[in-house]
Amino acid sequence: MSVHKRRLLGGTMAAAAAVALVACSGGGGGNGDENVEITLLVQTGGTGPAWGEALIEAFNEEHPEITVTLNSQPGGTEGDNLVKTKLATGEMEDVFTYNTGSLLQAINPDQNLVPLGDEEWASTLIEPFVPVVSTENGLYGAPNGTSQAGGILYNIPIYEELGLEVPTSWDEFMSNNDAIKEAGKTAIIQTYGDTWTSQLFVLGDFGNVTAQDEDWATEYTAGNRKYVEQPALQSFINQQEAYEGDYFNEDFASALFDDGLRMVSTGEGAHYPILSGGVSTIAQNYPDNIGDVGFFPLPAQDAEDTRATIWLPNAVYIPSTTEGEELEAAKLLVEFVNSPEGCRLQVELNVPAGPFATSLCELPSDVPQATQDLQTWVDDGLANPALEFVSPIKGPNLENITVQVGSGISTAEEGAALYDEDVIKQAQQLGLEGW
Amino acid sequence: MRRRAKIRGIVVGSISIVLSVIIFIVPFAFIFLTASKTAAEAALFGFTLPTEWALVENLTEVLTIRNGLIVRAFINSTVITVLSVVLMVVFAAMVGYVLQRRRSRWNPVVNFLVLAGLIVPPAVVPTIWVLQTLGLFATIPGLIFIQATFGLSFCVLLFRAFVSTIPKELDEAATIDGAGPLRIFFGVVAPLLRPVIITVVVVQAVAVFNDFTGPLYFLPGDENATVQLTLYNFQSQTLNQWNLLFMDILLITIPPLVMYIFFNRQIVAGMTSGAVKG
Repeated sequence: MSVHKRRLLGGTMAAAAAVALVACSGGGGGNGDENVEITLLVQTGGTGPAWGEALIEAFNEEHPEITVTLNSQPGGTEGDNLVKTKLATGEMEDVFTYNTGSLLQAINPDQNLVPLGDEEWASTLIEPFVPVVSTENGLYGAPNGTSQAGGILYNIPIYEELGLEVPTSWDEFMSNNDAIKEAGKTAIIQTYGDTWTSQLFVLGDFGNVTAQDEDWATEYTAGNRKYVEQPALQSFINQQEAYEGDYFNEDFASALFDDGLRMVSTGEGAHYPILSGGVSTIAQNYPDNIGDVGFFPLPAQDAEDTRATIWLPNAVYIPSTTEGEELEAAKLLVEFVNSPEGCRLQVELNVPAGPFATSLCELPSDVPQATQDLQTWVDDGLANPALEFVSPIKGPNLENITVQVGSGISTAEEGAALYDEDVIKQAQQLGLEGW
Repeated sequence: MRRRAKIRGIVVGSISIVLSVIIFIVPFAFIFLTASKTAAEAALFGFTLPTEWALVENLTEVLTIRNGLIVRAFINSTVITVLSVVLMVVFAAMVGYVLQRRRSRWNPVVNFLVLAGLIVPPAVVPTIWVLQTLGLFATIPGLIFIQATFGLSFCVLLFRAFVSTIPKELDEAATIDGAGPLRIFFGVVAPLLRPVIITVVVVQAVAVFNDFTGPLYFLPGDENATVQLTLYNFQSQTLNQWNLLFMDILLITIPPLVMYIFFNRQIVAGMTSGAVKG
């Protein structure tokens, strides 16, 4: 009996030693079947690659058996084309970051991506984020980064000096502008040298449109709502009134995005309608002034209708060409993006410009003033997603049309009519009904 | 009268010097100055001396970013440029020579194919399929062949035009002396092609070195980065590091600049001889 026992014990020990050996070789990232190699694609520019490197390093501490290689590619139009090319030729990396909303729909997720709706984290997403990473057939992406808002970055010292209150209605906003103009300062900063910045009066006002007409986006996609009619026309009228009030900086036609942020953070101007993501540039170039910049949404006519307009964050996806154990490893990496350590990395390298899109992550307490201001609007439930996340229609010429309206070349009605004309082609290309 | 002509010469000369300074030196100075500034100052886009010189800091940051990605990109770009230009010169010279010298019923077909190479735009996805089948996708040799193929048509046209200016009697004399076809080409004709070879080298080297879309689509992966792709490391929608971007531009501008300084005379000679006799 005792001999038997000893043999059993010895056997167990040998087995335990073997397990330990296997575990060791796995832990050393050595050879064997357990080592899986996957690739991660991030966009160059900004903090993308730095985030990717930090993420991989942290991920390997938890999963040393998975080797992740980082690749990067440009964003923008070239990036869109490249993503489509890679998906079409089966060369896409195992995990990749990309836009949400209408740009995601353009890469045909049902055919090209792995559905992730059954993953544990999928139930923690905030409600507005789910539709922007989903099709009728499934959910495809996990959020990466914080959301941002389109609204007005304002200079707090000017407000304090003139004793102004944060406006909630358009009339209050205009009387603030008058007061700032009388004090000899630039009331509204516009930077048409970077044409995309001219769209904020229209795009950043969309939360207010939704507040007045809940079904606007759905009806717009169906071809039943137009920009030439209220409440959406008001966005163009606002921009026209701002121009006619002569509130703009003198060089509004040629100033650039970076100039606009300089003016609002150093107090050369009071209001800058822009994406709150601009705080990362302020943090880099004017770190001393980051506390001087606050945020409020573009006010609606009626204070009751004023809402923040939210741009949802990008997401990480897995292409359907990734299979087997690579797929399992890729899913672990996607999950890790929104783990406590992953959340920390997201805000460590990027200055957060708004709230997270999942309840797994929380903003740290030392975020910029503008982000805190935005957070209160979101916490109060006074925030709606931007139009590009709730409708696939976005005309290519909006930025040119808003430059026309904002420079007094066209009236609001003409601009709105031009834009309605501009989106027809795109709606027809998308094969939408009712166009 | 002569004096007036002399004054006029001086005035015209000075104006052209001032103009060339404005056109060529000022942008370069702007790149250099912006590359020497801090991020905050560079975002002002002023044509001023930096208040705080950060040239060395920016240089080290650009060179060390992402484990020396840019150094690797320079090596890749150099290899791709040199090898693809060598391929273009050798093959285009041979094709151009045969096409000009030997009249046969294949000539119209070859001419059509050469022109087609200029006219038909390269399609990305089918090209990738071809590369995948050959096992060359996302490899440096793959991109070298692509660059050589895309540039070949233009080079063939240049060589064919130039060969027509070389007297046929030279070939005949060599044949009488007992030289075979290969010997004639490499021993007699090739040395005479020098001016047009320099033209092709300069034009194609700049084109390949500056190409953005080729490496973007056909050579993905970070270990395969080329210099033009590294420019995107410093720009995004809401955050630009202008000082580092301009430092990268400065570094990328240097190789063509050095090449121009050394080969200045040959380049001008090659251009003009090609232009007049073409």
